[in-house]
Amino acid sequence: MVTLTASPPPKARQAASRRVSPLLLAFVLVPLAVEAFWVFWPAIQGVYLSFTRWDGISPPHNVGLANYRAMASDPIFRSALWHTVIWLVLFGGLSVVGGLGMALLLQRERRGIGIYRAALFTPVVFSLVATSLIWQAMYQPDGLINKLLGAVGLTSWQHYWLADSHTALYALIVPALWRQIGYVMVLFLAGLKGIDPVLYEAARVDGANRWQQFTQITLPQLRSVNSVVLSVIVIDSLRSFDVVWSLTKGGPYHSSELLSTYMFSEAFQSLRLGYGSAVAVVIFLLALSVIITYLVRAFRESES
Amino acid sequence: MSSELTRRGFLVGVGAAGAAAALGGCATSTSSKTAKQTGGKVTLQSDLSSPQAKAAMEKLIAAFNKRGGAQASLNTVAAETFRTQLPSYLTSGNAPDVYTEGAGSVARAYADKGLLLDVTDVWKSMGNYSAALKNLSTDSKGRQIFVPTAYYWWGMFYRKSNFAKWGVQPARTWDEFVTLCKTLKSKGAVPIGIGAGGTPGTPWVASSWFDYLDIRINGAAFHRDVLAGKHSFADPKVKKVFSQWQTVLPYFDPKGTARSFQDATTALVQGETAMMLIGTFFADAAPKEVLADIDFFQFPIIDPSVPVAEEAPTDGFFASSRSSHVSGAKDLLTYLATAPAQELYTSQSSGISLPANPTAKDSGTALVVKGKAMLANAADLTQFFNRDSSDALQPTADNALVKFLQKPDQIGSILTDWQTAATQVRSH
Repeated sequence: MVTLTASPPPKARQAASRRVSPLLLAFVLVPLAVEAFWVFWPAIQGVYLSFTRWDGISPPHNVGLANYRAMASDPIFRSALWHTVIWLVLFGGLSVVGGLGMALLLQRERRGIGIYRAALFTPVVFSLVATSLIWQAMYQPDGLINKLLGAVGLTSWQHYWLADSHTALYALIVPALWRQIGYVMVLFLAGLKGIDPVLYEAARVDGANRWQQFTQITLPQLRSVNSVVLSVIVIDSLRSFDVVWSLTKGGPYHSSELLSTYMFSEAFQSLRLGYGSAVAVVIFLLALSVIITYLVRAFRESES
Repeated sequence: MSSELTRRGFLVGVGAAGAAAALGGCATSTSSKTAKQTGGKVTLQSDLSSPQAKAAMEKLIAAFNKRGGAQASLNTVAAETFRTQLPSYLTSGNAPDVYTEGAGSVARAYADKGLLLDVTDVWKSMGNYSAALKNLSTDSKGRQIFVPTAYYWWGMFYRKSNFAKWGVQPARTWDEFVTLCKTLKSKGAVPIGIGAGGTPGTPWVASSWFDYLDIRINGAAFHRDVLAGKHSFADPKVKKVFSQWQTVLPYFDPKGTARSFQDATTALVQGETAMMLIGTFFADAAPKEVLADIDFFQFPIIDPSVPVAEEAPTDGFFASSRSSHVSGAKDLLTYLATAPAQELYTSQSSGISLPANPTAKDSGTALVVKGKAMLANAADLTQFFNRDSSDALQPTADNALVKFLQKPDQIGSILTDWQTAATQVRSH
């Protein structure tokens, strides 16, 4: 009985006494306002637009879920989704393998190692214009790749790489990888630097070979970097747009169409801004679900 | 009192503000405000970004400003940016005043939405313009909303020296054309060049083949109806266009969907390909010294009973109805419509275009005389695929036609897919 009548903890008084300093408030409020205006607000607008039919000029009409229903029966959307999955697997997978491989090769300090690292990182720094000019020249009907194939007698392997519906998508993954591997390599290099060398010494004393050291020490130690790399790769794959748009615009006839390029062309070329927004919402949900799934798994593993 | 804000109170406040803003939805509402500001320069937003055309526009604006009165400034942006941004330019409060544009249904669609300035009084100074051009510049309510300044033609361009070397003559009818292709192939040349691919891609040039075959087989009226959605792209009459096309498809450049029209022009100039259906703007991509060796012939006649129509895209300007410099914008448009202004532009730019003002002198070269005569003899003029339909419909044609060039045997499904895509675009 006595415990029930005990006075409640003086929460209200505590809160009132914990005043926020105006300076601190400004530090929180100003960036939040900027973020809200430039990021949250357009994002909310995008979701709202996905439930409308809008040509960018007249006021938008509310159409409920019609855009999402249309998407379900849209063969181009489905093929764009499939291409995005291929992109995610090939571009994502190969940039992890390539980036980790390069990081392992280049982690030891040797003479001139900086040159190799810089060389691999250079494509990340190149502007999009330069990247697309370089690869455009390579892929041209009379470009470097076809000339090389011709020179070694593989004329039957020659293709109009970007104009052929069978090769366009894969031809685009190569320049995208060319840029991404250097970036992922730097992330992994930072992670590798953080591993305590004592662990390897101990393993060597215990007679572990190179492979065992890699699987038992390097990979588990890189776990924190892995989640960063995964997020970066998933987000970069889903928003992969610039390389595709500058080289093929999703063509020929949608054969290299990704969700991101389809979103853009629907919104800004066909002026179906409602439908384009709906595609954008799907891209967002895909990115979110992949990353959340991974994070949940990672947390569970670290708990057990 | 505000300094006594608690964290929770602060977050609640922010949340409320965010929700209120979200409900307002003001980013998508079209503002109806027009700033009434009279000072300042008239801005001309131009998509003529090729070096020569840009320089010619700068000279033109300088000449306008030298006259005293209203002053104008030129703002040149890339064509791609221009096209995607045009709706937002026209709906924003403080947008540019005057814009470069092609005549046709794109301009009309904007006029129907009340976004274009009524320039009927500018047309009062343009009494000598042809009725056809005036018609082309008139919207559905009978107001003039467009000022044409130049037009050009499409034709089958070739190098005179190469045709002489191969010993062939231009074709007039379809049968002659097929024979010409056969002969050229036997001489080791690629008969028909095209640049419907490349980076940055120019797949839209393939639409010229569709346009021309359709107006030669089904006539210009039917062609406009198809583009307006009154007939399906899967219509048997449209299918006939493609079966006709298929008869010469083996003579097309197999690299045609992998190169841009600029690269295809190089192939034509170098004699790799023999002829190419293209608009006169291709001359920008050709070296100056070979221009004298370039000639063209009219797209071959297929059915003599169909009145002969030609593609004659017309370029010009329109102004925003939200312009805050209405009288200045009209002054500028009136100036651009004059013969001296168009002569200045023609002499400064490299393109082989014809001035829209009938009293303005064109460049007078043999090529221009021939092109002008071809258009003057035509029973009807079409603009081009996108100009007779909409910019939004153009990508659907690009996908269908490039696929046809690569996989002609799938024409049935290509046409039904095209119709589906077109229906989607038209319904927004």
